[in-house]
Amino acid sequence: MSTGSFEIGAAGVDVERINADIRETVAAKMKAGAYVGAQLARAERFNLMNLKKDENFFDFYMESLREAVYVDINDFEIRERRAAFAPLLVRFKKTIWSLMKFYTYRLWSQQNQVNGLLLSATEEVDRKYRGQIKSLEERIAKLEQKLPPG
Amino acid sequence: MASPPRIAFVSPRFSDGPTVGGAETLLRKLAERLVAKGWQVDFLTTCARNHFTWENEIKPGDTMIAGITVRHFPVDGGRDLAAFIEVQNRISRSAEITRDEELIWHRNNVNSQALYAYLKTEGHRYDKIIMGPYLFALVYFASQIHPERTLLLPCLHNECFATLKTIREMFVNVSGWLFNAEPERDLAMQLYGLDPARAEVVGMGIDDFTTHPDRFRARHNLTAPYVLYSGRREPMKGTPLLLDYLDIFRERTGKDIKLVLTGSGPYDPPTRLVPHILDLGFVTEEEKHDAMAGAAAFCHPSTNESFSIVILESWLAGTPVLVHAAGDVMPFHCRKSNGGLWFRNYPEFEEQLSLLLEYPELRKAMGASGQRYVQNEYAWEAVETRLMKALLK
Repeated sequence: MSTGSFEIGAAGVDVERINADIRETVAAKMKAGAYVGAQLARAERFNLMNLKKDENFFDFYMESLREAVYVDINDFEIRERRAAFAPLLVRFKKTIWSLMKFYTYRLWSQQNQVNGLLLSATEEVDRKYRGQIKSLEERIAKLEQKLPPG
Repeated sequence: MASPPRIAFVSPRFSDGPTVGGAETLLRKLAERLVAKGWQVDFLTTCARNHFTWENEIKPGDTMIAGITVRHFPVDGGRDLAAFIEVQNRISRSAEITRDEELIWHRNNVNSQALYAYLKTEGHRYDKIIMGPYLFALVYFASQIHPERTLLLPCLHNECFATLKTIREMFVNVSGWLFNAEPERDLAMQLYGLDPARAEVVGMGIDDFTTHPDRFRARHNLTAPYVLYSGRREPMKGTPLLLDYLDIFRERTGKDIKLVLTGSGPYDPPTRLVPHILDLGFVTEEEKHDAMAGAAAFCHPSTNESFSIVILESWLAGTPVLVHAAGDVMPFHCRKSNGGLWFRNYPEFEEQLSLLLEYPELRKAMGASGQRYVQNEYAWEAVETRLMKALLK
């Protein structure tokens, strides 16, 4: 938190104030891009069901997803721990790698992960809007009943 | 001399061992308190232990347990599981369900014709009949037998099942309701438009205990701070969320924090977190309380609690709690007690846990606030006063 210290008076702590301070801090940090990334989106997939109670959460989740979408297939390095013949072994590994197209597996796996997350998000949005549409339809039906006949 | 009041409790399971939930524990504890006051208490329940299979595992008949006459009745056979699951899935998806379909769901849930027959012939002998939790067919059908003397102890959650037509009928038909906390009562009022004069917020008393956090740490060789979760591990309780949050917290903050778990149920933690989890399974109450007292925080990520005994126990052990903001009851307790914080998402969780780790004096003050709250609101004397008020209405 940005707050330097907390004063605890005789009456004890004030959790409402602490929570409010934390929300302010988090909002500022979110704006500054401190909470984005694939791993956050992954963790929050279990939190999607609580979307209906927090309008801002969806924006945060989508932001994390956007970060997760950019897959870099070169984000790992082929190494050799054994010093002897290291360059040769690395070259050999690279050839194998290339031949067996293992990178496609990695790409596929990451893409699957992202697709899963996007699917979860879309499903929740769908559920949310279906609820809203249902309540609007009920409201329309009630209003229609109030209309004079003819 | 007038004979003591006679009370029956009705629930699908009786809490006698480690495999039952909070609602059953609550009903048993209330029954025991009435026995201690000299009341005659019968507990009508089934022969089942497992709430998935509802297999008859206990011999039918009467047993005396802690002064309570526990009457076990066999669960009916011939459940049409496919029909039950089909309707349940549709309810879970918030699909439109007719009343007849709801009845199919109830009829293929846990039922005991033997228990209903007993209530029909003997129910009039009881001054009050307390039933719960609301979600089981046994309670739904039993509540129709003597509604004028039935008090529902629903353990109500804000979930799709609560909006069923038949559930609404049950709430409206009984003579009163015993709620665990104000938000649960407010939810029932909002859903069913009940008469507030017939409702009472009772809750459950928490017995005071002494703790030895150092003994717990030493026994398990714990030198790093830890977050504790006690209870069933399942998605509905938010366990996967907690596992992921802790894993990311460790990675992002670089803080060495452990996760201690007590209770049962399978879970699938991130591989990196595995060496930092201490899973104790079922532990004694003493061990659990020691674990609570030694924790940096007790975390309860569930959004479907109507009471939560474990967060009250954590406060009694002097430990602050972190709870999910989407539930109604636990944030309510946190606000009222000043003993906990509530998070909506990972960033808030990270800030809150970091704060508690960074400021031990804040942690201590919040734990002490929570402790005072439990001692004032959930001492048995206070709970008994509220229970008596409800029973003597």
